[in-house]
Amino acid sequence: MSLSFEHVGFQYRGTSIGVHDINLSLDSGELVALIGPSGSGKTTLLRLTAGLITGHSGRIVLGGRDLSNMPVHERHIGMMFQHYALFPHLTVLENVAYGLKMAGVKPDERRKKSQEMLELVGLGQLAARRPAQLSGGQQQRVALARALAYSPQALLLDEPLSALDASIRGQLRDQIRQLQQQFGATTVLVTHDQEEALAMADRIALLDQGRVLQYGTPTELYENPKNETVARFVGLSTIVEARVCADNRVDTGYATLACDTAGRAIGSAVKLLVRPEHVEADPAEGSVNRIAGRVTLNRYLGSFNRYDFVPTGGSEPWLGEARVAPAAAIAVAPEHIRLLAD
Amino acid sequence: MFIRLVSFTYMLYLVLPIALILVGSFGETWVNALLPEGSTLAWYQELWDDRSFTRAFVTSLIVGGASCVINTLLCVPLAYSLVHGAKQKNRFATRLLTLLPVAVPTITLGFGYILVFNTDAMPWLGSTPLLIAAHVVLTLPYLTQALVTDLRHQRLDRLEEAAATLGARPLERFFGIIVPNLRYSLLSGLVMVAALSIGEFQLSNLIVGFQNRTYPVVLLQAFYGATGFACAATVILLLLATVASLTSTLASKKA
Repeated sequence: MSLSFEHVGFQYRGTSIGVHDINLSLDSGELVALIGPSGSGKTTLLRLTAGLITGHSGRIVLGGRDLSNMPVHERHIGMMFQHYALFPHLTVLENVAYGLKMAGVKPDERRKKSQEMLELVGLGQLAARRPAQLSGGQQQRVALARALAYSPQALLLDEPLSALDASIRGQLRDQIRQLQQQFGATTVLVTHDQEEALAMADRIALLDQGRVLQYGTPTELYENPKNETVARFVGLSTIVEARVCADNRVDTGYATLACDTAGRAIGSAVKLLVRPEHVEADPAEGSVNRIAGRVTLNRYLGSFNRYDFVPTGGSEPWLGEARVAPAAAIAVAPEHIRLLAD
Repeated sequence: MFIRLVSFTYMLYLVLPIALILVGSFGETWVNALLPEGSTLAWYQELWDDRSFTRAFVTSLIVGGASCVINTLLCVPLAYSLVHGAKQKNRFATRLLTLLPVAVPTITLGFGYILVFNTDAMPWLGSTPLLIAAHVVLTLPYLTQALVTDLRHQRLDRLEEAAATLGARPLERFFGIIVPNLRYSLLSGLVMVAALSIGEFQLSNLIVGFQNRTYPVVLLQAFYGATGFACAATVILLLLATVASLTSTLASKKA
């Protein structure tokens, strides 16, 4: 079921905090991640969709239905919360069955359906337990089963993994994604973890100060960030200030580099974006865009090293990744240097 | 060391009178001595035979029980609205309302009741319903506070949000999620209400009628008679209060 936000605006009373003129559309079955710094409005947008906060301008339309004036309990949207929010006085099975019970499904049928959902998340044997007897990861899986059990028209995930240990996080991330695809649930994921967004989402909306800065596939956001804020928020990068010194040539102060300047005037200030995986370690003498210098900090990460490389004559480090950190020089191919729009 | 000494002295100060009363209730005669002489159960028998005491005992139970029922009906929604949707201004007003009975000296409240309910328009002074109402006013803040603390502590607002997204209507959320999760604090709060109501003297003494005196009020009369009798009567009150507070402690431990 498709979900769209049309000119959605909301402000918390007495503040300028909120969201402003949000326009997004999600295809049926798509998972869209909302990312952005805290206070960017991502959680606000999610809670507006759920109906947990009301009084926005514009329209939120789910499968052709305008949700705007509909109370929470009529919206039929499943939700997962950061702190699980399982009902402590009910068993695991009763928790999963809660939505079906509210929908008036008969006891036998809802018990069967809920047990099936628990099997799907791998917790069939824990049906009779209380939530307090489960680990955090298990509780969140119950919450996932509960959110999907009553066949909601959309799924909202409010930082579902941020309260969990790193080891469980990856596992549950895959499980959520797999079930979301299996159920074809149109899903909005709020996360502050950009890696999580890149790994899970079909599309990502980057919010800042209540506005959408960029909306696109993970690849688009990573490869073609619209501006510096997006570039800094999505993935690791080096951003270097430079000046156009000739056609397709820029001067950083310590080196002149070849790259596509897209017809900018000579003398104009530009910002260069380079992703760490495109930084080549110890290129051959005389290579294009060779920069001499030294590594000031190296992080051994098992399959590769991530290092800070300070060019001779420069002060800001370049971030690079390689099997072996460079000894004396780096190089970046011209096609991997992007000029950022201001 | 110093702290131990202080705690010991304090305990002594607290326990000694109670112990003496307990001993006194079984003593035959107790005049001008540290301890009574002889031992007997006669005082308890006399107490059992005294109509005014048994009646007062029943009255106290009725008033305490009624206070519990009314408090439950009032406090759960009150605490809920205090924590939940209430706007800032209303929240302050409700807070004030629930804390005033604690802050205002009970005797002030009693004089107020005498003035208001001794009029032709409202001639209810001395009636049991007024007595119950007074006890409710006095005990309501304690139960409300217990419930508010629990609501906040358990983050029941989050559970309610979850229930709402699953299709639960406001009333279904209140009775299906909020009330069941408040059961332990409600229970321990109610026992406190019962204990407070059973022991309440100041206000009751001012507004009871002769026919519906509560146990502590009648107890005062006993002090003008035989020491043993007064002790026995006090022990009964103590027993009631102890049972109530013990149950309260157990209930809150469970929570």
